Order: sequence, then C-alpha cells, then structure tokens
Amino acid sequence: MDMQTLLFFTLCLPFATAAILWFTPKNLGLLNTFHVLGSLITSLVALSAVSHVIGGESFYLFNKLFFLDPIGGVFLTLIAVIGFLINLYSVKYMQWELESGHITINEVKLFYVLSHIFVFTMIFSIISNNIALMWAGIEATTLSSLFMVALYKNKRATESGWKYIIICSVGLAFALYATVLMYGAGFNVIKDGHDAMLWSSLMENAKLLNPDALKLVFIFALIGFGTKAGLAPMHTWLPDVHSEGPSPASAFLSAVLLKCALAAIIRYYSIVTHSTLGSSFVETLMVIVALLSIFIAALFILKQRDIKRMFAYHSVEHVGIIAFGFGIGGPLGVFAGLFHTMAHSLSKALAFCVSGNIIKIYGTRDMGKMGGLIRVNPLNAVLFGTAVASLIGIPLLAVFVSEFLMIKSGLSADKYIQIALFIIGLAIIFIAVLMHFNEVVFGKVRGEVKTEKIEANANIPLIVFAVLIVALGIYVCPQWFELLQNATKIILA
Amino acid sequence: MMNISLVDILTIAMIATSLAVFGLRNLKWSVYAYITETLLLVGVFLLLSQKYNVEQLSEWALIAFITKVVIVPYILIKLIKRLNVRSEETPLYGFFISPIIALGFSLALAMIISPVLKEFSLLKETIPLIASVTIFSLGIFGLILRKNVIKQILAYCLFENGIHLTLALSTYNSPEIVDIGILTDAIFAVIIMSILAERFYKYFGALDVSKANHLKG
Repeated sequence: MDMQTLLFFTLCLPFATAAILWFTPKNLGLLNTFHVLGSLITSLVALSAVSHVIGGESFYLFNKLFFLDPIGGVFLTLIAVIGFLINLYSVKYMQWELESGHITINEVKLFYVLSHIFVFTMIFSIISNNIALMWAGIEATTLSSLFMVALYKNKRATESGWKYIIICSVGLAFALYATVLMYGAGFNVIKDGHDAMLWSSLMENAKLLNPDALKLVFIFALIGFGTKAGLAPMHTWLPDVHSEGPSPASAFLSAVLLKCALAAIIRYYSIVTHSTLGSSFVETLMVIVALLSIFIAALFILKQRDIKRMFAYHSVEHVGIIAFGFGIGGPLGVFAGLFHTMAHSLSKALAFCVSGNIIKIYGTRDMGKMGGLIRVNPLNAVLFGTAVASLIGIPLLAVFVSEFLMIKSGLSADKYIQIALFIIGLAIIFIAVLMHFNEVVFGKVRGEVKTEKIEANANIPLIVFAVLIVALGIYVCPQWFELLQNATKIILA
Repeated sequence: MMNISLVDILTIAMIATSLAVFGLRNLKWSVYAYITETLLLVGVFLLLSQKYNVEQLSEWALIAFITKVVIVPYILIKLIKRLNVRSEETPLYGFFISPIIALGFSLALAMIISPVLKEFSLLKETIPLIASVTIFSLGIFGLILRKNVIKQILAYCLFENGIHLTLALSTYNSPEIVDIGILTDAIFAVIIMSILAERFYKYFGALDVSKANHLKG
C-alpha cells in the first residue's frame, strides 16, 4: 500500500469501526469482538503508517490538508499502542459494570462507539496539517469523549461532564483566536488562503512571520490548548473528569488525549522557535507553566484520599514535566519531553487500569479503606507498584529516563534554579505517592475486600503495559529513538 | 465624517442583542434575542460579501443561517419546552449588575485586543472587530456570572458567534472545510450540552449549576 492510502485508512478505520459497532445488535459477544478487532486493525495500520516516517520523511494527503511527519508519528504511536491496550482492557471492565448493574448493554455499546469516534478525532487532530482543522479536531475530542466520561447516570458524572465541556470549550476558544491570529500573520507573508493555514508552509516561512504577533499567538495557544492538556492553572476540570468516568475512559483521557493537546502546543512551539523570535520566549513560558503544574499537583496529591483523583493530579504533574522538557529546550530537552509523552502514557494507562481492578477488589475509591493489597491480590499489587514506581521516577523504569535527561540537559544549559525547583517538586510528589502506596499495598485491610480474584483477561493488557514500561526504561529501541530524534530535529531550528 | 456604514450599525445592534441574550430573565426570550443576533450576523456576512465582493462570505451566511438561526434555536426551544422552565435563577451580582459588569469588561477587553486583530485581519473593519471581541467576551462572562444551565448554553452560543464574526473578517478566504469543521463542532456542542442539561435537571431538580458542588479537592 502506498503511504497516502495508508494514511487515509488510518483516519477512516476508527470511524468505520464506530459505524459498524453502531449497527451491531446489542449482543455483548459481538460488540466485544468488533470492538477489539476494529481497534487492533486501526492500530496496526497506524503503526505501519508511522513506520514510513521514522527516517524523517513527511507524507501529505488531500491537497496537504493532512500529513504525517515524525512529530505526528510520535503521537500516532501513542494512540495506536495505548489505545489498543486500553480498548482491550475495557472489554472486561465493561462486563463488570454490566454485571454489577451500574450500566446497561446500551451504555456499553455507546461507550464502544464513542471510544472509536474519540480515537478518530484524536488521529484527525494529530495528522491535520491545517491548523484550523487541528483545532476542530481537538474540540471534537472533547465532544466525543464527553459521554465516555459521563457514562454513569448520576449526579457526580453529570457535574463532571458539565465542567468538562464548559471549561474546555472556553479554553479552546482562546486557541481558536491563536489560530486566527496565526493565519493573519501567515497570510501577510504567504498570500495564499490555503497555504497560510498549513503548518508545513508556516514552518517554511517562519523566519518572515511578525515576531510580535507570534508572541500573542503562542500565549493564546498555550492558554487554549493548555486548558485541554491540563496545564496549571487551567487544569481545574481535569481531576473531576478523570476521576468520575469509568477507568478505561480515565486511562484514555490521561494517557492519550492530554498528549494530543500537547502536540498542538508543540506545533506552535516549533513555529516560534523557527521564527526570528527564537526559542527563549517560548521556553520561559513553558518553564513557568510547567513548574506551576508540578507544584500545584504536588499539593493536591499530598492530601488526596481518592485513588483516581490522585492519579488525575499526577497527570497534571506529568503534563507539567513534559512542558518542562520543552521549557529547558535544546535537542536533549525536547527529546526528553517527547520521550516522556510515551513514558507517562504507558505508566498512566497502567495506573488507571490497575486502579479499576483495585476499585473492583475493595469496592471503593477511598485509599483509606484499602490496604494489604499485596496479600489480597499480589499480581495487582505488583502492577500497581510498577505504575507508581514509574510515575515517581524510579530508575530502570520509563519515566526515570526522561526526567534524568531533562535534568542533565538543564544543568548543561546552566539552568540551575529551574532544575532545583523541578527536583523539589518531584521530591514532594515522590514522598506523597509513596505514602499512598504504602497505605494501599501494605498493612491490614481497613475496609472490606469484595472480591480477591481478578480475571486473567483484565490483567493481561496491564501486564503488557508493565513490560513496556520496563522495556522503555532499560532498552534503547532504535526505531523509537530515531523517530524521536527526527521529530526533535523538526521542532528545533 | 459621517460615514457610518450599515455593517457598523448591524454589528452595534449585535452587541445590543447579545446583551439582551445575556440579560433577559426569561429563557425563551433569550433564545429569541439570540435568533435576532444571529440574523444580524448573517446580514453582516451578506453585506461584507457585497462590499468586498467575496463570494465565500455569502456561502458563510447561508451556512450560518441554517445552523444558527434554524438548528440551534430549535434545539434550545425544544429543550426549554421539555423541561418546562421559564426563567433563570438570580445570577452572580444580581440581574441588574451582572450585565453591566459583563458589558464594561467586555468593551474594555475589546478595545485592547481589537487593534491587534485589526493589524492581521483581512477586512480592516474597526467596529465589527470591536463588536466581535465584545460579543465573545460577553459570552465568556455569561459562563462565569450566570448560573442557569440553559443560559450557559446560550453564553456558549454567544461567544461562538463572536468568534464566527472574527473568523469572517480575518479568515474568509481559507478553505471552506475550515468553516464547516468549526460549525460542526459548535452544533454538536449544543446538542451534547442540551442532553447534559436534561440530565442535570433530572438529577439536581433544577438548572442551577451552583447546586453541582460534589467534586472538590
């Protein structure tokens, strides 16, 4: 298959799967089969599309409206790998919810359909070369994921859904202003309505763009897409939304969706670094929001009782860490930031999925009522341990690699104060999370154990996540590193 | 220097109707005010399309008419009928003060931002640009100050209209798929918000968002 066809299928397959699921009769077996099969095929096609851009090439589709370059490749890999594993996990999770009577078969079907539409909108935003379509894609991710989050019909879910759509829509409105201004600045130089909206041609003409306009554009884009990415102080919707949805939805949002919004920020980041404005302006802004996110998250993680809310604040922290990589800048900083997207996505997807299992075991989200997991279900205790250890940056696991690279790159660039603050923030979270970890895994059970056994097919995707986290921590996968390096080259001037 | 054009008058009328959408206590009347405002927006598109001889804007006008004068109000009126609510709860700072706060800050913001927009806008129309930012930020203030769910949906529609006007002035020559993409999002957003609004009414027994305070910390 040539690259254009491949890219076309990458975009269309999730939508087609959603359509097929929509017309599938309400039979759990059938729905599960189509759901997993569709997700698998989508992921394989997406990965084979990515394999073409590892070397640094870019491919265009539909008169350059869509394209795939190494930056898009990095994020498409996230969607493909993690999306599939979460979808696989959701099969068992939805069966539990169905058995417990929290939801009906209608809602399972709705969840499956929406999860594929959601993947479609994310892929749409990642491979859009047109910056307005990229915006539309990101806005569409909110709309498509809303009823995945507000799946349960109760007060809390409704409240979180309302917060989600209102705060994200307002935030993204600012991003639309960034898009409009960017187009205006681009049109002054490029003089063509079609080309002035293309990221690739804006990059080519970056040196000619008005630097003052770019400042405003980046600030608006950072506020706008930063809201969606969960950067502080625009993160207020995130803990509510991530904690109220079903665990697979939380995993999707945290592991993949936040990264898509970050990808949009990275697109603007690279236009600015290529312009005459240089990189210092964007780096300063990124460091500020990054440190703010890390410290705000640290405060809230300390006093958190709810296991899913804790992980939600963890997302704020890690999005901050990715932003910190870009704030440190330089080839190493940007590389580390990109590496961290995958490291965090794997760890956080595992964290949310395993917390789904743990909630099933204890029948509560309150960590004060858990305890003794290591005796109750050792496998899930180990998986939980892997997720937590990776999230707080224990060596030999994925997150450590990127955090180490960021610190190294910051020190070599003489950014001592930023690095010191960064390390302090991470240290607070390290201690806070270990405390919570102890509470859940060791000691005696403080609440009650509803069930000890978790079926194998709920554990298998999680084991794969854990293996990948360790692999990413100790093994240098040449293709992945080449892809990251080529993406870094494009981002930096 | 009495060359106030019809476009200017229509956009000023848009600010006035937006304020009505924001301020009217009766929800149905708010929707009617929104319809008027959007009709004015369609008028502005048509006038601009004639004045500058741009074909695209008349297409924009047609699309805006179908989506925003017909579909969106239809959804909202149906929602109001189904829920059988008449008027909204007292907003933050009361019915009298809240529109004044909103308008004051919105105009101030518009004065600051619109010169920058004008610099990069394709059609350098001062008053429409000011109006677009004012309407946008009236919508944002609507979301902050008004507590009624339907009023918040209307506030969303307001800021969407503000953005739409900015888009028409500064990006009308972009590919059509852009306008279609953005409007599709807007319509789906309204549909989804109406579904949520119904659920909200069901679980909270009212449309007052300040009752939804279960998620904290």
